[in-house]
Amino acid sequence: MSSSRDDFSIAIRSALLQKGTRQKFSIFFLICLSILIFFLDSFPNKAMDISRSIINDLIYRISSVATSPMRFVDYSSKRVIYHFEIYDENKVLKEELKKLRSKELRVEYLQAQNKNFKEIIGSEFAYSSNNILGKVLLDKESPYLKSVIINKGSQSGIKKGMPVKDRDFLVGRIVETNFLSSRVLLLNDLNSRIPVTIGKSGVQAILTGKGKSKPELEYLPEAYLPENDLIVFTSGIDGIFKEGVAIGTTVIDENIASVKLYSDPNQLNIINVELKD
Amino acid sequence: MAIIFKNFKLKLASLGPIILLYFLSFSELDTQFSNVFEILSFNLQLIIIYYWMLRDQTILGNGHVFFAGIINDVVMGLPLGISPLTYLTVSFVALYVRNVTVNISLMTDWFTFLIALFFSNLLFLILINNFTDLPLSYSDIFYNSFFTMIFYPGFWLIFNLYKSIMFRGANV
Repeated sequence: MSSSRDDFSIAIRSALLQKGTRQKFSIFFLICLSILIFFLDSFPNKAMDISRSIINDLIYRISSVATSPMRFVDYSSKRVIYHFEIYDENKVLKEELKKLRSKELRVEYLQAQNKNFKEIIGSEFAYSSNNILGKVLLDKESPYLKSVIINKGSQSGIKKGMPVKDRDFLVGRIVETNFLSSRVLLLNDLNSRIPVTIGKSGVQAILTGKGKSKPELEYLPEAYLPENDLIVFTSGIDGIFKEGVAIGTTVIDENIASVKLYSDPNQLNIINVELKD
Repeated sequence: MAIIFKNFKLKLASLGPIILLYFLSFSELDTQFSNVFEILSFNLQLIIIYYWMLRDQTILGNGHVFFAGIINDVVMGLPLGISPLTYLTVSFVALYVRNVTVNISLMTDWFTFLIALFFSNLLFLILINNFTDLPLSYSDIFYNSFFTMIFYPGFWLIFNLYKSIMFRGANV
């Protein structure tokens, strides 16, 4: 009995303290170091904040470089698929063009309409000076966190809490700023809570991230169930987000009101951070 | 010349798991396939650490496991120190199992990996719940652990194959 207890303690001690041929540190030492780092990081202090900011910037940059070949492969494959889609689309368009030529008046009308649409699309990219464009460096998906890293940080005037938009649609807010990079908490993250207004009725609710693609509407008025396809806007009650920024449309499934976001959180590339006045 | 080539090959082969571990920590190469199957995600880092600590301690150093954890924390936005602790827990269980076992088989490895995974997740949950404000989805963690466990034999076979090809004749 005592012999087996001795064997157990020897095995435990050996696993904790043993340093093999290529082991420079014992597990015991590294566990102690991890605990120390964890507690230093958990309790806010200026020295650790600066260290963390430097480590974050460094690792984000290395990570961005390390993943660039994969992103290139991903981009190339998308371009090839896009090319084939364009090819097919071209065939359809040619057919349509034949039909359209026979309707000259209709063509003229469509050309005028197309010109108007192009003007509208062009105007969408005229950002005001209060906005800053950022490129998504990392969008590593985690089962727990839904966030992206962008290449703009406190150096560009970004602060915690600033709203982030993709074109004109809200996608999240800044939750962490480093000197050269920031973390954007997406609307579908478990931590995300945004006050919203639903449709023309002006009903107030809280848009809550659930870690899935569609965040849900909570704190709706009693006995109120929104219909499908109502537009959801920010209400601006919290004073963080401006009111009237479009987010998505309602989707009702099994009496649960969720929101299909206008901007797909998995497809973000260039985003727009709204700097406060 | 042949000896130099053989040594180079062995050196390269021994770096493979470390490079893979760091690459997984750094990169966006997710082991999450929610677009294929909503609940499908697994933790390849834990499988790599457990297998190589159990099978060949000389390949994967504890220091590398620690640094990979720190990098993972930064990239995932977790408080620094959580991933190193969970990774080192897996390492510790692997080293303990290595000390007390003589015969190696897939079944014993698989069963003891379950214990390592249990302690690693337990530590992760305790730290997140008690020392941070991060909300967690227990079902997501369960699915992640479940699929990590399920996929272990597959990676066990792949790593065994890798070992047998890359380290063939290493002890001759």
